[in-house]
Amino acid sequence: MNNSKIKNWHIILLLLVILFFLRFGLIIKSYLLLYKYIGFLFSDFSIAINIMDLGFADLIVSILLIVVIPSLILYEKNKNNLLAVGLNKKVDFSSFTVIILISFFIFAPLITDSNPNFQKDIGVTKLLPPLSSVDVITLKKEKIISKDKLAFLLNLKDDVVKKPFNENLIYADSIKIGGSLIFYQKGKEKEIQKNKLQLVNDIPLIEKKHFLLGTDEFGRDIFSRLVYGARISLLIGLGAVFISLLLGLSLGFLAGYPGGFADSFLNRFTEVFLAFPIIFLIILILALFGNSFFTVMFVLGFSGWMSLFKIVRGEIILLKKKDFFISAQMIGLSPYKLLLKEILPVILAPVIVNLVLLYGNVILAESALSYLGLGIGNNYPSWGAMIESGQAYISEAWWMIFFPGLTLFLTLFAANDIGKEVNIHYNPALEK
Amino acid sequence: MKKELTKILVKRVSTSLVVLFLLITFVFFLLRISPGDPSQKFISPQLSPELVKKVKESFDLNSPLLAQYKAFVINLAQGNLGISYNYRMPVISVIGEYLPFTLIFASISFIIQIFSGFLLALITVKNRDGLLDRIISKISLAAYATPSFVIGVILIFLFSAKLKIFPSSGLRSFDSGSFSFLQSLTDFINHLVLPLITLSIPGIAIYFKYLRDNLEDVYNKQFVINLRALGFAEKEITRKHVIPNAINPLISVAGIELGILLSGALITEVIFALPGMGRLTINAILTRDYPLVTGCSIVAGILIILSNLAADIIRASLDKRLVKGSLN
Repeated sequence: MNNSKIKNWHIILLLLVILFFLRFGLIIKSYLLLYKYIGFLFSDFSIAINIMDLGFADLIVSILLIVVIPSLILYEKNKNNLLAVGLNKKVDFSSFTVIILISFFIFAPLITDSNPNFQKDIGVTKLLPPLSSVDVITLKKEKIISKDKLAFLLNLKDDVVKKPFNENLIYADSIKIGGSLIFYQKGKEKEIQKNKLQLVNDIPLIEKKHFLLGTDEFGRDIFSRLVYGARISLLIGLGAVFISLLLGLSLGFLAGYPGGFADSFLNRFTEVFLAFPIIFLIILILALFGNSFFTVMFVLGFSGWMSLFKIVRGEIILLKKKDFFISAQMIGLSPYKLLLKEILPVILAPVIVNLVLLYGNVILAESALSYLGLGIGNNYPSWGAMIESGQAYISEAWWMIFFPGLTLFLTLFAANDIGKEVNIHYNPALEK
Repeated sequence: MKKELTKILVKRVSTSLVVLFLLITFVFFLLRISPGDPSQKFISPQLSPELVKKVKESFDLNSPLLAQYKAFVINLAQGNLGISYNYRMPVISVIGEYLPFTLIFASISFIIQIFSGFLLALITVKNRDGLLDRIISKISLAAYATPSFVIGVILIFLFSAKLKIFPSSGLRSFDSGSFSFLQSLTDFINHLVLPLITLSIPGIAIYFKYLRDNLEDVYNKQFVINLRALGFAEKEITRKHVIPNAINPLISVAGIELGILLSGALITEVIFALPGMGRLTINAILTRDYPLVTGCSIVAGILIILSNLAADIIRASLDKRLVKGSLN
């Protein structure tokens, strides 16, 4: 082992530290919010339940994981399992991509500073190129008279959890401060009285909002859409791969273990599935029964089990002739125990390799479906849908296609590469 | 030998046909049990109740499922696929309008894929671990990981939006009516360049990867070293011994790929708005044109069976042992 090389877990820790310092204020506020919220949970349970929503839960999980993950890594890295091998590997391009993607997945609310669906003053914000910025004027909030704990909690939550709308912000191209504040939106001059603005030391609070990767046709931040889109892709991939794993394992076992008629029937059946263009069947089912997160996941899962089935079946047929397996049968183990204790450990390696490759395919299929408008709908950002909507603006806004396309490419590239590496890990003979 | 081969082929075709029939039955029932009524689109509130009833009857969707299925099977046996809801034409003539384009488009792309993949694999395997080999292998890995719609959109951006060399969609220019034959041919070819590249790049990467690995495997085999020691020319070894051994597993892959290509290059057709089977099928699905969906599945199924069959025949003629193997 060469200790001077930078390993994967170094990178993970480094990224987490950077994230922690970049979003220090947000994290501290979130912990304060969590602390107050737990207080409420004990004093007034029903109100506390009502306050809880998806964005809030998401944020809490992120701020907890940002502490848990480093300790977990430091604990796991000295063990001897696949995770530790991955952590101790030298950093390369694809593992770096995977680390970035997973941190997008887990820390999306911390990494981005706006909701992926946030829209305001479309005239000013639409189709902005990368690295552009606009001025943000903050209006004064309605005075909250009651100074009780609940109001404080709600205020804090509004501050920390990003919502898809905020009526207290105005986006402007440029700003002039005189007796009253004059701002320009697309060349139009507008005026606003100072007493309506949020003041800090008697100066109106004006911030710059940066769009790292530009905005789309509705003025939404492409970077935050990419980050949240990673969640959709990775989550659907996970679910679909899990369904494929269950189907492939059980059908493969059903075919390989008893053999005979069941075997030949299932084998024929699988060959049919392999030979027909499955994408049409997927589209048919999605179009007829509606496309939502779960239907997309299930349909993709049901369409990917064939290669797993082939592997499991083949391995079991080979295994049945081995001595240790026959003696396990002689002892009288039930088929279920045989599967769990004798078969699974042997077929684990090829199955894991196949799962990684399958994962890439599912992500590809999901993006293709959303490109065709049959993804999980418009409530969530998805890479394929982003590319599809960018195609209409191809000559004026290249960034709308380029960044989601690049992300997708890097993800698939990394998935293929990791699959190959896992394969080499289990079969060292493959390495040349 | 010949008798054995025909026996296998008949067996294979008959099982494929049974499978195709099962698949179509599955599609038939899936369409019927799904929520929604396609006849709704053709009924306006102004229609009189009798007329509404007549329209609904013309779709024959209210009779019991099994009766519908029986009528469908009888019609199918007579070669009648029904009348498309949207086009108001027999399904066969609708498909007849879209199929020729797909056949031409898919076969050209297939030939490009096979030839380029083969050529690249041969070139790289000749100078193993050279600069060219490493570059092409890296590019092929990247091409393998790029979704075809990303490739297509990038090509449109570069060649249509920026450089304005090739048109971005459709098959003909707007003013193609006044063109002479030669002009319309070049117009047609111009429209096909970007779609062909988009459709072919992933395929080239797949064939290249397969062939490159197979060729290298065969080159390292004992018998090749033996041939070399006996003094055969490297060219002759490659042509007569290495290539035939390396391409055999590729042919069945190519058969499956060809079948899928022929049944419609969905994504490419959508990106470039081409009138092919893929877009016809997805439009039929989205507009709930039940007879057309079933018709498209039947055509796709037949094309896939045929191309797999062709692959099997070619494989069997290259390697006689396969005939014996598949008999058992």
